[in-house]
Amino acid sequence: MKVIVLLDQIQAGLGGKEKGDTPLGGKKLAMGAADTLDKVLKKMDSEIIGTFYCGTDYYQANKAEVNRKVAKMSQKMGADVVIAGPTYDYPDFSTMACELAATIQKETTIPVVGLTAIEKNADLIQQYQDQITIVKMPKKGGTGLSDSIDHALRLCKMKVEGADFTDFINQYCY
Amino acid sequence: MQKKLEQILMPVAIKLGNNVVLRSLRDGFLIITPLIIVTSIFLLIGNFPIPGWTEFWSGILGPHWTEWFSAVSNSVFSFTGLLACFGISYAYGKNRGLQGIHTSAIAIISFLILTPTVVTVGKKSIGAIQTMYLGPNGIFLGIFIALVSVEIYRFAIKRNWRIKMPDGVPPAVSESFDALLPSGLVVLVFFLIRIGFSLSSFETAYNFIYTLLQQPLKGAGNSLPSVLLYNFIAMLLWCFGINGPTITNSVWSPIFFVLTQDNLTAFQKHMQLPHIFTQQFIDIFTTYGGGGSTLSLLIVMLTVCKSKRVKELGKLAIVPGIFGINEPIIFGLPVVLNPIIAIPFIIVPVLNTLISGIVFQLGWVPYTNGVMLPWTTPPIISGWLSTGSWTGSVLQLFELVLGILIYYPFIMMIDRQYLAEEAEAAGLDDVDINFDEI
Repeated sequence: MKVIVLLDQIQAGLGGKEKGDTPLGGKKLAMGAADTLDKVLKKMDSEIIGTFYCGTDYYQANKAEVNRKVAKMSQKMGADVVIAGPTYDYPDFSTMACELAATIQKETTIPVVGLTAIEKNADLIQQYQDQITIVKMPKKGGTGLSDSIDHALRLCKMKVEGADFTDFINQYCY
Repeated sequence: MQKKLEQILMPVAIKLGNNVVLRSLRDGFLIITPLIIVTSIFLLIGNFPIPGWTEFWSGILGPHWTEWFSAVSNSVFSFTGLLACFGISYAYGKNRGLQGIHTSAIAIISFLILTPTVVTVGKKSIGAIQTMYLGPNGIFLGIFIALVSVEIYRFAIKRNWRIKMPDGVPPAVSESFDALLPSGLVVLVFFLIRIGFSLSSFETAYNFIYTLLQQPLKGAGNSLPSVLLYNFIAMLLWCFGINGPTITNSVWSPIFFVLTQDNLTAFQKHMQLPHIFTQQFIDIFTTYGGGGSTLSLLIVMLTVCKSKRVKELGKLAIVPGIFGINEPIIFGLPVVLNPIIAIPFIIVPVLNTLISGIVFQLGWVPYTNGVMLPWTTPPIISGWLSTGSWTGSVLQLFELVLGILIYYPFIMMIDRQYLAEEAEAAGLDDVDINFDEI
């Protein structure tokens, strides 16, 4: 399973809130939080083929361009699945992740899995939960992070293999 | 191993994190923390740790200039018990679904009902309240009153014991009448409690709580094993992505708060400082640059590591790190769910706690003065300001270097792994993904 992970500047290890102007970029390896996912993915004979990152302020100022480029690049790199997150309860990153996930789902055939906390994001999740599958995760510093990552990766596998994931969604997604 | 630990820790962490009483204690103290920090600055200016400071300013401003500053610091530090009662009753009331302002108002009244209002001066008795009852020694009484008064208030609200006003009455008026019977019940109960204690050998609720609860708990918390356990659990939880101090503070914060206030009172009165293990000790002499003492880690990342990712993150995170912000490292390196970095992340703060505890016990560094500095105050400066001695800065510097030595082999393992990945990726056309070609 070839996976692309979408992150903001904090989760990609490119600085804090003050680096929100980081332009859209990416590396063909697991960066920052993607490295945590990569450790589990390796046990599933899967790999991260790219980490896409974008500063949340940059995204707000260049939404159309970033959405177009992320969808096209995911397709071009031949990803089997895209993971948008983990976003924790960061509202700006959660918004970016949901919007990008919805675009990829609409404009490509690549399945997408979101990973977001309900805290500070209740309205956003309500807006997107019917369009994209968003796995439940804890807020920053909350309990259950490891389990939520396991759930997201299991869902990725099910989506790629075309398995029925209705029960799974009822249990672990919004 | 990681999974097993998680299975054991998680239910405990969830229980502690969700416990409404513990959460309210933590939140309640947070309400008054800004007041303590602001007034601490006034206290520090009035007692700046430079020989000849007071005399120098007395020559310019007159002999009473320190009183101007102590008027501000006393406004909070002489009333920490009452303020704790106010903050906790507000937080607990809110967490119980009640109007926080009503619950804190009735808690303050309950506190005053239980406070002795007669002071004997020589042979005369006058009507007055001694700040002794309202300050640090009254903190546990304040906590007790906050929790009990909110529960009694809630008892009445749940049973709908209210005076209903007709529709059309302004909300402020009807809310005020809503609170009438529940407030009356709280007042009645505390009236009876006061009578009960006045008939007992304790004479006051203050004496009862202080003797049976505050003193023993202070003794249990004011020990090296207690602080070692505090830091060990806090750091261990961070490694699983859980904000460890949030959980541990819910248990320890009342104790550390009291110990810190005791030192502060002694500092104000120029008396000997009584305790080692204060909140300042935890904040200033056990971790540098945030949880895990990651400033040491950042220095290694910046100076020794070779992989682009680690070095770059070191550059970006060093300035926030100096000021105690380590979010970029926690999530960007990442620290969470990273078993390699978890080892030094736990060892360094625990070892710092042990060393600092021993150094303070040996008297090589003066005890912390209880002045709460803004949490962003960088090490070296904070060590000096909190102890009034350069030896505090030296201890911090020593522990920072020790942290560097401990983090070194672990971050190098990660660095080598990242270097190999980067070399492998360099074999590809280019490791960077070029979005401009889209």
